[in-house]
Amino acid sequence: MSSDFEAYEQDFGTLTAEITNKIGRIPKLGGEEKTQLVLNVDKQLEEVRELMEQMDLEVRELPIQSRGMYQSRLKSYKGEMDKLEKDFKRSRIAYSDEVRNELLGEDAGSSESQRAHLLDNTEKLERSSRRLDAGYQIAVETEQVGQEILANLHTDREKIQRSRDRLRETDANLGKSSRILTGMLRRKAAIHFLLIHWKRVWLHSFVHFPVPLRRHSQTMSGEKEIQRAPPQKSVGSREGSEVLNTSKFRPFPSVLAEFLFPRAGILTM
Amino acid sequence: MDTSGKEKEAMQLMAEADKKVKSSGSFLGGMFGGSHHKVEDACEMYARAANMFKMAKNWTAAGNAFCQGARLHMQLQNKLDSATSFVDAGNAYKKADPQEAINCINAAIDIYTDMGRFTIAAKHHITIAEVYESELVDIEKAIAHYEQAADYYKGEESNSSANKCLLKVGHYSAQLEQYPKAIEIYEQVATNTMDNPLLKYNAKEYFFKASLCHFIVDELNAKVLLSLLMYEEMFPAFADSRECKLLKKLLDAHEEQNCEAFTEAVKEFDSISRLDQWLTTMLLRIKKTIQGDAGDLK
Repeated sequence: MSSDFEAYEQDFGTLTAEITNKIGRIPKLGGEEKTQLVLNVDKQLEEVRELMEQMDLEVRELPIQSRGMYQSRLKSYKGEMDKLEKDFKRSRIAYSDEVRNELLGEDAGSSESQRAHLLDNTEKLERSSRRLDAGYQIAVETEQVGQEILANLHTDREKIQRSRDRLRETDANLGKSSRILTGMLRRKAAIHFLLIHWKRVWLHSFVHFPVPLRRHSQTMSGEKEIQRAPPQKSVGSREGSEVLNTSKFRPFPSVLAEFLFPRAGILTM
Repeated sequence: MDTSGKEKEAMQLMAEADKKVKSSGSFLGGMFGGSHHKVEDACEMYARAANMFKMAKNWTAAGNAFCQGARLHMQLQNKLDSATSFVDAGNAYKKADPQEAINCINAAIDIYTDMGRFTIAAKHHITIAEVYESELVDIEKAIAHYEQAADYYKGEESNSSANKCLLKVGHYSAQLEQYPKAIEIYEQVATNTMDNPLLKYNAKEYFFKASLCHFIVDELNAKVLLSLLMYEEMFPAFADSRECKLLKKLLDAHEEQNCEAFTEAVKEFDSISRLDQWLTTMLLRIKKTIQGDAGDLK
């Protein structure tokens, strides 16, 4: 009896080995070969099931003492068979790389293309950050240049202000000098006139020209009017001009004196 | 060649002018109109001769001729003309003999200050200082002249030019390790510029330099931090600037005596805006102190 069982066991072993082999090969193949293999494996699985049943019957006929061992072995074989069936089922629907490649028509590089894509992106990022840095540098340099320019502008501003002030001063000075020069010209003309026509002037001084009073006389007391006063040309004689001014009409020479030395008139009056 | 011909002419003119001067001298100080006339002629001839020497590129002779003309002008009490001649002499000598140039320009400055023209005197001080900077490398004297120039400019209320000179003074005194002076100057300039809307963007640079000097003077971080806070208070925008951040990093690195962090921070700053020579020198000194301290500890 046990020899039968052992014979069954051996058959079981060989069959399961074959089935495993074939199951391993199924995913790689395709088409007709696959269907044939699948049929083969199916048949072999059937045989394995029959074996299992026979082994079961055998074990039942055994005496109870030795049944335990055989039963445990039977259980493990059953487990193996279940596993084989599961594998078989899975292999029929499993995809292998080759099938996929056939479908998608490229070599096994999709993952590599992803890597290349990533590298590209990183490079782009680096380039952009480099550009940003350069831009920032330029901005900072521009700021520095701007600072220098501002400082220069400030200096120039002060220079221009100073020159403008100096110019105004010079202008004022020029005006003063021009006034002085005209005064000099006038005096020169007057002295010239006197030098050449002094006789005439002297004669005229004895006739009062109706020259209107330029200033109100302060000493209008009824003192004697000196009508024939000698011509006064010098500034120093204050009394003379005072006396002269008491008259209503002032003689020409005093007018002339005032013309020549205007400020002295202020002193005498 | 043309130039040698000019030189000969120039020599002739000089000889003539010399004769005139001597002949006028023989008038026993001269009768009024005559000798002055001659001396003036001589001055003019000296000037012409000097110009011809300049054309011939004989700078020493040109400078010489200008100097003589200047002295004659002094005799005639033409201060202004004399000063201008001295300046011309200085310019001519600059290309040949810097020391003589400095002498001439100094004479010119004396005349100008006598007349009360401080602005132009200040300008000439700056020229001299530049000569000291570049040709006769005598930084101390350069500093002295820049200071004088700054004082004159302050007197004439041209604060911008004064600031320019003061900055140079600070620059060089820091290089010569006169740090307290440099700190004072930079702080002063910075506070002045802050009010002016045109110049306030410069203020942060001055604050930065001042704090660097503080740093070098005493590496006790307390004072540096204090000064930093003070500046930030006075000038809020300073706090945001990269310079301020750099300073803080340096402070930290210094506290930890971490030479690498220091170098790294400096490199980072340099990558954005180049550090100029002065800054590099200062930072190097600070770095040396760090390394020195680390060495002592070891």
